[in-house]
Amino acid sequence: MGGSVSKMMGKIFGTKEMRILMLGLDAAGKTTILYKLKLSNQDVTTIPTVGFNVESVTYKNVKFNVWDVGGQDKIRPLWRHYYSGTQGLIFVVDSSDTARLEEARSELHKIINDREMKDALLLVFANKQDIPGHLSPEEITQQLQLTKLKDKLWYVAPSVATDGTGIFEGLAWLSNNVKTQPTK
Amino acid sequence: MASPLPYRPSNDSLSTSNPKTNGLPRLSPAASFIGRSPSGSHASFRRTSAENAMGYKQRRCKSQYPLDSTERHVEYILVASFHIDRGPIMEHQYPAAISGDESMLAELMLPDQTHVRSQDWTIFFLHKDTSGDDEDKAEGGKKTKKRKSRYRANEEAAGLPDEDLDEPSDGDSSDDEEGGEGPPLMYVLNLVNTKQDNTVRRGAVVKAMAICTRHSFLHIYKPLLLLALEDYFKSPFPETLATLYDAVNNMDLSLMPKMSILERHILQSSNTKDMFIEKFEQMIRQREEQEAEDGECPPSPKKIGRYVLPRDTHEFESKVVYHDIPIPVKIPTVIWPETVGDFSLVKLIQTFAGPHATSPQPFPIHPHLTTSGPFTHPIIVLVNAILTQKRVIFLGHNRPSGEVAEAVLAACALASGGILRGFTRHAFPYTDLTKIDDLLKVPGFIAGVTNPTFANHPEWWDIMCDLPTGRMKISSHVEPAPVTEGLLFFQQQNALLPNPTSHANSDPTGDNLFMEDILRSIYQRHGENAIRAKWRAYITKFTRVSAAFEEAVYGASNLYIIGPGEELSPDSPTGHQTDATDPTSLRGHGYVWPDEGAKQRELSASVSRIEGWRNTRSYYSYIQDIAAMYYPARPIQRPDLHHHHDRLRFLKLSHADAGAIYLALSHAVKDYAGICQLLTVAPENQAGLFYLSMGLFHPDQVVREATVDLLDRIATHSAGRHFWTHLSRFAKLGYFRVKRERDAAQSPISGAGSPTVTNPGTSFGGEPQSLVGVALGDIFNRSS
Repeated sequence: MGGSVSKMMGKIFGTKEMRILMLGLDAAGKTTILYKLKLSNQDVTTIPTVGFNVESVTYKNVKFNVWDVGGQDKIRPLWRHYYSGTQGLIFVVDSSDTARLEEARSELHKIINDREMKDALLLVFANKQDIPGHLSPEEITQQLQLTKLKDKLWYVAPSVATDGTGIFEGLAWLSNNVKTQPTK
Repeated sequence: MASPLPYRPSNDSLSTSNPKTNGLPRLSPAASFIGRSPSGSHASFRRTSAENAMGYKQRRCKSQYPLDSTERHVEYILVASFHIDRGPIMEHQYPAAISGDESMLAELMLPDQTHVRSQDWTIFFLHKDTSGDDEDKAEGGKKTKKRKSRYRANEEAAGLPDEDLDEPSDGDSSDDEEGGEGPPLMYVLNLVNTKQDNTVRRGAVVKAMAICTRHSFLHIYKPLLLLALEDYFKSPFPETLATLYDAVNNMDLSLMPKMSILERHILQSSNTKDMFIEKFEQMIRQREEQEAEDGECPPSPKKIGRYVLPRDTHEFESKVVYHDIPIPVKIPTVIWPETVGDFSLVKLIQTFAGPHATSPQPFPIHPHLTTSGPFTHPIIVLVNAILTQKRVIFLGHNRPSGEVAEAVLAACALASGGILRGFTRHAFPYTDLTKIDDLLKVPGFIAGVTNPTFANHPEWWDIMCDLPTGRMKISSHVEPAPVTEGLLFFQQQNALLPNPTSHANSDPTGDNLFMEDILRSIYQRHGENAIRAKWRAYITKFTRVSAAFEEAVYGASNLYIIGPGEELSPDSPTGHQTDATDPTSLRGHGYVWPDEGAKQRELSASVSRIEGWRNTRSYYSYIQDIAAMYYPARPIQRPDLHHHHDRLRFLKLSHADAGAIYLALSHAVKDYAGICQLLTVAPENQAGLFYLSMGLFHPDQVVREATVDLLDRIATHSAGRHFWTHLSRFAKLGYFRVKRERDAAQSPISGAGSPTVTNPGTSFGGEPQSLVGVALGDIFNRSS
């Protein structure tokens, strides 16, 4: 009974499940974002991710299954195994680490050019906006050459993962846009 | 591995060379080579004379892990850590670099999600030659392909099973009967710790230490790794590794006797705590004699002083002294192929039996897997999958990787039953996404993972076993069972027979009954050992049913070596004697069904999985094992003891037929090894000697007396005496009655007594050198 009601509610209000993959260079702040989403009011301290984390977060009627995968260059080739079935990619960039932005750009383009990722939404977190010397979201957009992308829905959100600034705004963009997407 | 010489226990070798000369004790030719002291040959000569004079035990008992062995218990110690910029890296290797793909090893040592728990265990295997400088490869290693290794390359090129010849666990089981040529597996036990530390960048240190050994009982090293890794966090230098290395390699296992296949079989299926205690006593006696002999000769480096007998002969107790702390370790005496680590079959079965019992979910039908329909028990589906070489994955999301590794090892043991091989060699107790490409090149594997992304890739596996939910899934991508010749032949043959499905038998394979029995045993807390013995019996039955199938369909079986004077089943009516004067020429072999209908029903239910098994690595290595070890280990090839004992168990025989069996057994089973062989087909958990003892009540006096003789021999046998003790009072009364009758007829003086004190010479007077006399003498020695 309860199940059928919530199913009906789901039909009316469009509760959706969305598989999100969160990638980025090492120490960009992926795990912090993940746990800030999961435990919004708590301080989060993280250690390097060995392998991956996966958590479910419900926000605005959308249940996000967020996969956060370790970012050390040696383990980046494994990212592709997480692509299939992914509806949204969150790419996290350390806006203060200007030296590695080119590396981040190349990794990002590798991901979104993959056939299995062609329908996925792209959300970029321009993270660590609190650190002096950071680049603005516009500069990040330019550095990552996002304007070159064709047939891609993308958005760059400024964020400070450690205090949660901008995180839910990014998620809101995902949930708004996933509704326009036909889901299976 | 351990012995410098190829050596077979004399009971095996003597009977292989001449199966019919049972009963005559012979000194093993190898015995004289064993002594380490210069006086070795002299000593063996003395033993011979002593044995003749007073029936001293004639064979020298050999150590499973001799003191002078060049093999080390542990070959390498490794330390890896998770570098925050570079990912997993290898920090130290001792005593030398293990010569392989370091980064891949480091990845294996730092399992996924190790950052969410403070401690985790993993197990993985390396394929490494003993020679040392040869290349090694972890299963699925990235460079596996590039570095050509003869056997690995073989397998990947052609999928040939030949490389499975070697016994994976021969590093620790007795190597008499290993059939192999490839190097044994190297087992790696790995401990990883994550320590939060605010003084370091990014707040944590993750380090892992691993022990690489050829012993499959690698779990004994767990307490040592815990201590050593803790020490390594304090002093991260090679010296810490060296201390551990020296400590574990100084472990003394030299007083652990080596046992033959038959002896191991008896010991495992018995709960008797002092089964084969004689062997342990003899090891100590030999050691003391040797020390006395050596005298001024350079004595062994370790003088332990007083040697103690084990409290339970299933385990050998020793210790490892680490930093002056003695850490007790218990090594299993019986190690079968495919038995690695300290897994629990009980736990594995319960994990998947629970959800199946409360709310069974139907499987999609696959002839190899769902042998009892859509509601086949998941454990049977799992065993079928492994037997037919499917790709099996154990997934334990949010579980420690040690838990999935244990499940994989248990699954290997389940399908092996300690008999079939080739599963651990293609098992990946713990693996992750980094090895997926190589994993997928292996045809048929058993792997443990913690990453739930595997569940999203049904094209990677055939069976997914989810540990947290206890559910099993058959992949939508599983390859359909091919239609084979054997299947077609069988169906053609069967078309002529009455349709077997018309019988209202819902459980033609007997698997449902079997699983019920297993679950009942678990429920009644019979223990892990009892469950393993039952699985061994199940796999034995599977091989025997397969042999019967092959004979029926192909006219011959690879799985059974026909004994002398025996012919294939259609032409060889069971129960006939080829030679009327020789009771041992009793014909008949293989599995016993109550009637032809039952046989057809069981075969038609199992035909698909048998056909599915017939092309696998484990099938081919089993054929080789039969020729190389199982068949030679059996001193009595004729009659088929298992077959005829089964006939006594399962069939209602006429007096004449039963009598022929008792006479055949009594004539065939005379020496030590022969009795061992008989005991393996009459294990204690299957009524022991009960069916044999029924011969005491046979109407024919000759049969009754033959049975008495046989029981006499069994009762004075070092393992048989325990079976005799467990025999019912009723049977014993029968025994004494027959004995009294005979003694009354032969000589009025000697009365009846316990079999250990009656003179067995009367039962076969022509053989004063019989082993019974020898064993008897031994009993006298010990009691005096």
